[in-house]
Amino acid sequence: MQQTGGASRGLRSDVVAGVVLMLIALLAGWQNRAYPVGTLAEPGPGYMPLMIAGALGVFGLLIALRAGTSPLFNAVDWSEGRRGIVMLIACGVAVLALERIGYRLSMTALLVFMLGVVERKRPVPTLLVAFGFAFLSYYLFASLLKVQLPHGPWGL
Amino acid sequence: MDGGVFANLMHGFSVALQPSVLAYAFAGCVIGTLVGMLPGLGPLAGISLLLPATFGLNPIIAIVLLAGVYYGAMYGGSTTSILMRIPGEAASVMTCIDGYAMTQRGRAGPALAIAAIGSFVAGTLSVVALMFLAPTLASFALRFGPPEYTGLLLMGLFVLAYMSGGSMLKTLAMAAVGLLLGMIGIDAMSGYTRFSYDVIELADGIGIVPVAVGLFGLSEILLTAGQPTPPAIQRPTLRQLIPSLEEIKLSVGPISRGSLIGFLIGIIPGSAHIISSFVSYGIERRMSTHPERFGKGAIEGVAGPESANNSAATGAFVPMLALGIPTGPITAVMLAAIMVHGISPGPMLITQQPDLFWGFVASMYVGNVVLLILNLPLVGLFVYLLRIPYSYLYPAILCFCILGVYSVSNSVVDVWIMLGMGAFGYVLRKTGFEPAPIALGLILSPMLELSVRQSLAMSGGSYGIFFERPIAITMFAAAGVLILLGLKPLLFKRKDWREKVGLEDQV
Repeated sequence: MQQTGGASRGLRSDVVAGVVLMLIALLAGWQNRAYPVGTLAEPGPGYMPLMIAGALGVFGLLIALRAGTSPLFNAVDWSEGRRGIVMLIACGVAVLALERIGYRLSMTALLVFMLGVVERKRPVPTLLVAFGFAFLSYYLFASLLKVQLPHGPWGL
Repeated sequence: MDGGVFANLMHGFSVALQPSVLAYAFAGCVIGTLVGMLPGLGPLAGISLLLPATFGLNPIIAIVLLAGVYYGAMYGGSTTSILMRIPGEAASVMTCIDGYAMTQRGRAGPALAIAAIGSFVAGTLSVVALMFLAPTLASFALRFGPPEYTGLLLMGLFVLAYMSGGSMLKTLAMAAVGLLLGMIGIDAMSGYTRFSYDVIELADGIGIVPVAVGLFGLSEILLTAGQPTPPAIQRPTLRQLIPSLEEIKLSVGPISRGSLIGFLIGIIPGSAHIISSFVSYGIERRMSTHPERFGKGAIEGVAGPESANNSAATGAFVPMLALGIPTGPITAVMLAAIMVHGISPGPMLITQQPDLFWGFVASMYVGNVVLLILNLPLVGLFVYLLRIPYSYLYPAILCFCILGVYSVSNSVVDVWIMLGMGAFGYVLRKTGFEPAPIALGLILSPMLELSVRQSLAMSGGSYGIFFERPIAITMFAAAGVLILLGLKPLLFKRKDWREKVGLEDQV
């Protein structure tokens, strides 16, 4: 993955990870107050979440304490991150549109954005791939395999 | 159904050789080969995509189709690994090392042939083992009560933590995250709805499909999209596929060992097919009289891991069919496919549904033959697919992920979960955490909770019940040994097993 830290100073990635895991455990434990833990002879719905949150907290603490050889958090290469965020936002918009404008239109729009804007492909191949994929996959899954997919305006 | 194993198998063939079953087995193998070849679209995403389409089929056809996709992907994954150094799916990572080195030396054909032959031999041998072991295990499992199931599930988690090769603490932490996710939804024993925050869809719990497609499929796309275009692809002719006599001789041992190791690892809950290929590669390198050849195109480095991952894929069906316990996300989705049809998985499945079990076993023999044909003479045809630039391919895979996750329960919430898990998986992989235990924890969570609470209720609140029954205590003892083995390198500053088997400079 990444280089291990030697003499250099700074926040270790395992310290960050361990703290995040402890926070998740604390949050789960806090939210679990709403459910009865019960007794050992009759454990309630809050029993297992509490046990698991406790274990997670301990694991997080140990990971943070043993972080000495893990890479520096700043040294982790996040170079694909920006493209990844754009992709996730584009997918999020497509998901919002999915049940409003239907599968075919939302997937066409997503593909046009990904190919035309993110990958900077020429317009003709972009449109051909986008429309071709959206309509062919709809035909394959919805028409042939009878998978229910959302429709939009004009029956699309 | 009475009768010996062979009489049952013949009955299975009478089911598997029905034209409709054969056609779906063939379709599953073709789709599996394709999804195995495409980076980001592994067997899980492929199976998830097809899951809704199986709801209208009979359960035998449904499971035959999905199993074809699973082991087809194991075969297909090797093609991209060998020709392009791109593992189509995670189990093929080890094949990349020597497979691609062989391609650079002009030996792509024999590498592909040995991978396909090894997969075929391992696949067939492991079906034989499955055929004998599953019914025996199922009758043994009738003695299992809640404490035994608790022991088995915890042992599975510790085996995964120990075998995964990375930090045991990190693996256990990820499994705990998965177990916590599994707590979301209605509690089966009390009817309380937990952690659903008034989102109706969350009351049913978080499904394995959105989590697994996000953690494995989407995070892979987030990591690989935008990387430089891979080099031109070789397309070996039929004649170039024939391995030399020496290559065949060198492959016999690794194929045999890989088959055995893969099957044994496969029956234990965990990401068996991935771990088995790592272990097999390490063992072959350690056993070789010329370990320096590894990484430079050693045929053993292709034969062992490819056999192991196929064998593990079949081994994973043993607990799934005999105990009703999924060993990973893929078998969990397959169990869901048969449960939709009102069939309860568990020890009684084999006796109550002989057509399903034996038809499925027989279909795997047929599937292995189909895959050998697809992956040797027709490999050139599949390679055409790899000529599609990745910049066109990954947006389409992204759409497939959305389509597959949405269509399982027609829920947009599931797609949001997938997107969240994709981002989470990306961050985890960047920071050295393995996402597979999350999926396993999520699957095992409801079973573990039920068995722990039932055990405690049975014993009137005494944890002693886990240490009074012979089967349960054996499993807890095995888990304890694994914890101690995992602690050993921490206490004595020893090398961990991955370093010992020589993987430290390869992965």
